[in-house]
Amino acid sequence: MTTKTLKKPVARPVAPPKARPAARGRERFAYWLIAPALAFMVLVHLIPTAAGSFLSLLDLNTFTFQQLFGAPWAGLSNYDSILFDSSNPLHSGFTNAASNTLFYTLVVVAGTLSGGLGIALLMNRAFPGQRVVRTLMLTPWVVPSFVVAVLWEFMWQRDAGIVNKVLVDYTGILGERPTWLLGENTMWAIVIPSIWRGIPFAMLIFLAGLQAIPRELHEAAALDGAGTWRRFRYITLPLLRPLLAIQLLFGVIYSAYQFTIPFVMLGSNPGPSADLMMTLVMRQSFSNNLFGYGAAVSTLLMLAMLVWVGIWYAAFRRDFAEASA
Amino acid sequence: MSARRRWIDIGLTSFTYLVLLVMLAPVLWLVASSLQPNGNLANGEYDLLHPTLDAFGDMWRNIDFERYLANSIVICTGAAALATAFASSAGYALARFRFRGDKAYGLTVIGTQLIPGSLFLLPVFLGFVWLGQNTPVELLDTHIGLILVYTAFFTPLAIYFMRAFFQAIPRELEEAALVDGCTRFGAFVRVVIPNAAPGLLATFVYAFLFAWDELLFATALTEQNAETIPIGIRNFIGNYNEEYDQLMAAGVVSTIPVLIAFFATQRWLVKGLTAGAVKG
Repeated sequence: MTTKTLKKPVARPVAPPKARPAARGRERFAYWLIAPALAFMVLVHLIPTAAGSFLSLLDLNTFTFQQLFGAPWAGLSNYDSILFDSSNPLHSGFTNAASNTLFYTLVVVAGTLSGGLGIALLMNRAFPGQRVVRTLMLTPWVVPSFVVAVLWEFMWQRDAGIVNKVLVDYTGILGERPTWLLGENTMWAIVIPSIWRGIPFAMLIFLAGLQAIPRELHEAAALDGAGTWRRFRYITLPLLRPLLAIQLLFGVIYSAYQFTIPFVMLGSNPGPSADLMMTLVMRQSFSNNLFGYGAAVSTLLMLAMLVWVGIWYAAFRRDFAEASA
Repeated sequence: MSARRRWIDIGLTSFTYLVLLVMLAPVLWLVASSLQPNGNLANGEYDLLHPTLDAFGDMWRNIDFERYLANSIVICTGAAALATAFASSAGYALARFRFRGDKAYGLTVIGTQLIPGSLFLLPVFLGFVWLGQNTPVELLDTHIGLILVYTAFFTPLAIYFMRAFFQAIPRELEEAALVDGCTRFGAFVRVVIPNAAPGLLATFVYAFLFAWDELLFATALTEQNAETIPIGIRNFIGNYNEEYDQLMAAGVVSTIPVLIAFFATQRWLVKGLTAGAVKG
C-alpha cells in the first residue's frame, strides 16, 4: 500500500523550477509520446505553411518559377491587387469566389445542422428497426465525396437526369426542365449534394447528445405543464449547445475548404456561380502558374478562418468553460 | 387519447422510414444505374427489371481500375495505421500527462485544421522534388510519399479521438501495472492500449475513410505510379465522358471498400465518434 501512494502521480503546478526526478521522468516520457506526431506536424504542416506564406510575398509566376524562393520580392502587392485593385481581373475573380464561398458555407452548414437535428429528433424515440435505420442513415456519409460528385453530376443531367425526371415528368412540380450544370443553378448543384452527404454525421452526433439527456428532465417539465416546443426550447436545445458549437466550428472550416465536389462535378473552372475559394486557388496556381497569387489567396482564406475561430470562441467560450477546467 | 397517440406513433415511424428512403435514394440510384446498359442511360431510359453487369466489365477493361484500387488500399491502410499509432501515443500524453507546452501543443494540433491545403501543397511538392534530386529518398509519385502526407493530415483529429478514449480508461489500471514493475512504456503498450482497442479501431477507420476521399494532394503528388481512385475517376471522366454506366460502376466499386470497412466496424466507430464529440 505504501509503495502505491509513493508511486501515485503527483499533480503539480506547471514548470516548477526544480521538478522532482519522478515528475521529470514523466515529463520526458510525455515528450517521447508526442515526438512522432509532432515531427510529422512540423515537417508536413508547419514548415510548408510558413514557406507557402512566404511565397505569397513573391512575384512567382510562369517566368520566375525556376527561381522559386529567389523570385522577385513583391511585398504585399499580391494582397493589394487581390483586395483593392478593381482594374485587375484577379480581383473580381477573388471577390466572386469569396462571396460564393460565403454563401456555400452558410447554406451548407445551416442545411446540414438543421437537417441532422431534425432527423435526430425523429430517430430519438423507440420504433421498430431503430438500430438498423440509424446505421443505414449513415450511408451517404460513407460514400466518398468524389463519388458523390460523379453521381450527382449524372443525376443533374438536364434531359437524362433523374432529378428533372422526378421534378418535371413524374410529378409535374416544375413545368420546364431547369439546367443544373450551367449558369446560376450550379451553386445549388454543389450545395445540395454537400448537405446530403453532411446530414448523417450531424444526425449521429445530435442523436448521441439527445440520448444522453436524462428522461426525468422531460418528464418533470411535462408534469409542470411544459409543452413539446417549450421542452425543446428550454431543455433540449441548451443541452445540445456544446455539440452544436463543435459542429459549427468544424462545419464552417470544412465547407470553406471544399474542393472535391465542385472540382469533380464541374471541372477545374466551375463557372462564375460555383467557383469556390479552393477551386479558384488551384486553377490560378496550377493551370495559370500564378503561384504567388494563389499563395496570397490561401493565406487570406486562412486568416478569414482565424477570424471565424475568434468569433466562435467569443460566442461559445462559456459552453466549454467547465469542460476544460 | 391512446388511440390518437398510437396513430401519431405510426405516423412518425412511417415518416422516419420515408426520410431514410429519401436519404438512401441517390445511393440506390448509383447502384441501379451501374446495372444498366449504356445505351439506356444516355437516353434517360431505365430497365430496372433486367440488370446487367456489363458496365463493370467494360469499366475494368477500359481503365486500369485495379491499379488505382490497389494504390488506394495500400496508401490508405498505411496512412491509417501510422496515424492511429502516432495519435494513440500523442493522445495518451495529452490525456494523462502534464508537460511544459502541453496546452500550446494541443492548440497547435487543432490549429493545423485551419490551414488550407492549397497553402502548403506547393511547398510539400517542392520538398518532394528536392529530396528526389538531392537524396536517394523518392517521395514524389510513390506510395510512401502519400502515406507520409496522409499520416500527417489525419493524425491531429485522431489525437483528440484517442485522448477521449484514454480519459475514459481508469488510471488505476496503469498504476497497478507500474506497481507490478512495468515501465511506463510497458504499462502503456500492454495495459492501456488493449483497453483502448475499440478506440484504435474507430480511429483507424476514421483515418482510412478520410484518406480514401483525398483528392487535392493526390492530384499534385502523383503522376502515374501511385495514382489513387479519385485520380482514376477524374482521368476516366476526361476520357469517357459519356459512358455513364461505367462511371457509375466505378463509383460503386470505389464505395464498396469503405462501405465494408464502415459497416464491419460501425458499432465501435459510432461509439468512438460520438464519445469524442459528446465529451467535447
